[in-house]
Amino acid sequence: MSDSVIEIHAVTKSFRRDPVLRGMSLQVERGRTFAFLGRNGAGKTTAIRLLLGLLNRDGGEIRVLGLDPATDPLTLRGRVGYLAEDQTMYGWMRAAEILRFVAPFYPTWDHELALRYAREFEVPLGTKIKHLSKGQNVRLGLVLALAHRPELVILDDPALGLDPIMRKQFNRDLITHLQGEGRTVFYSSHLLYEVEPVADEVAILDRGQVVRQCETESLRRDVKQITLRHDALVLIDQDVILDRRPDGLETAIVVSNAEYVMEKLCREGVEHRLVDLNLDEIFEAYVSGQRGEPIHLRQAFEPTGSQS
Amino acid sequence: MILRIEKGSAVPISRQIGSQIATLCASGKLRPGQRLPSVRELARELAVNQNTILRVYERLVSEGLLEMLHGQGTFVSDRARESSLAAHRDRLLDELRQLGRQGIALGLSNEQLHELLAEALHQLQQTSPAEAETTP
Repeated sequence: MSDSVIEIHAVTKSFRRDPVLRGMSLQVERGRTFAFLGRNGAGKTTAIRLLLGLLNRDGGEIRVLGLDPATDPLTLRGRVGYLAEDQTMYGWMRAAEILRFVAPFYPTWDHELALRYAREFEVPLGTKIKHLSKGQNVRLGLVLALAHRPELVILDDPALGLDPIMRKQFNRDLITHLQGEGRTVFYSSHLLYEVEPVADEVAILDRGQVVRQCETESLRRDVKQITLRHDALVLIDQDVILDRRPDGLETAIVVSNAEYVMEKLCREGVEHRLVDLNLDEIFEAYVSGQRGEPIHLRQAFEPTGSQS
Repeated sequence: MILRIEKGSAVPISRQIGSQIATLCASGKLRPGQRLPSVRELARELAVNQNTILRVYERLVSEGLLEMLHGQGTFVSDRARESSLAAHRDRLLDELRQLGRQGIALGLSNEQLHELLAEALHQLQQTSPAEAETTP
């Protein structure tokens, strides 16, 4: 095996009869900054809770730092830094008090480091937690997640509720204190354009499955919009079409392997136009693109449809 | 060195950074021998992944704009200006090709396209002569 810090294979999880994860798989290698993307409600938080052993999976395999979170949750949580979505901390405690309160839970806690991070992240130690701003709250959570020098840090939508300036500052902290020190970071977000500057690799979760895992840069290189005549569509493998918008005699499609498709169209001498997409458009194509519905199916729904 | 990152743009961040550094070299704002910020410093400044910055620096080294001196840092190379002009030429050609394609799609003839370009250049020269002179 490669040096994977997180391995998820064909994991399923339902709540009552609602399937949330339907055979989800992904791998995160050591030292990578990995962004886990999906719309709200796509199952990101569920997957993260499974990784930490806070929930049990129904099926599939999970290894985090070589451990199974279902059987070894406490050892695992001692080695992972975790920042929950909307982490709630005792509001009556002062920031300095919660640092001392949390310390005994971690054998590797480094209090000097905690105080240094608090200083660098500009967390006012004397202030009661309920009086901290949203941004200060997230950064205090980050201090708690990092002060035991974890090799893996899992952050559940850390940028949620931060304004653009705080987000940039947060990204900076991530780059300097985590990437700079060679740690593995796994963090979720629903804002692709926010993670682009920071993440080495991204995975997109949609309807309980990872629909794409790749290097951030190759996502841009591979996913593009191509406009061509309807009748040329048959040349393209239907599986790589993420979105299609018919317009007059032409259709604009978004494909997941632009280089290959372009080569084929050029070889066949098909006229087409290529457009680069921004990351939000790419994300949209994956999670809400108009995939299939070949033309004959659509005709069947027309009132004057001649065949069934 | 002041760079500006546009998030959510269709232009990848590595290309944004690369072309801005190339422009600074071409215009002489970055001078041969000048030291660039370290990968770490620039990553922190721009809040961009260190690996991205490293890849940009490496690409600009391979294009002859920058030089990496082991243990000393990254510097603007002596022939940065010529190299960046060559790189810019390719980029301009690419953009002109796209514009040309739009013109053809609109049914314009070659002569009409040339006229448009001449008119655009004329307008530039009227507003800021200095800017038009530096255009290769």
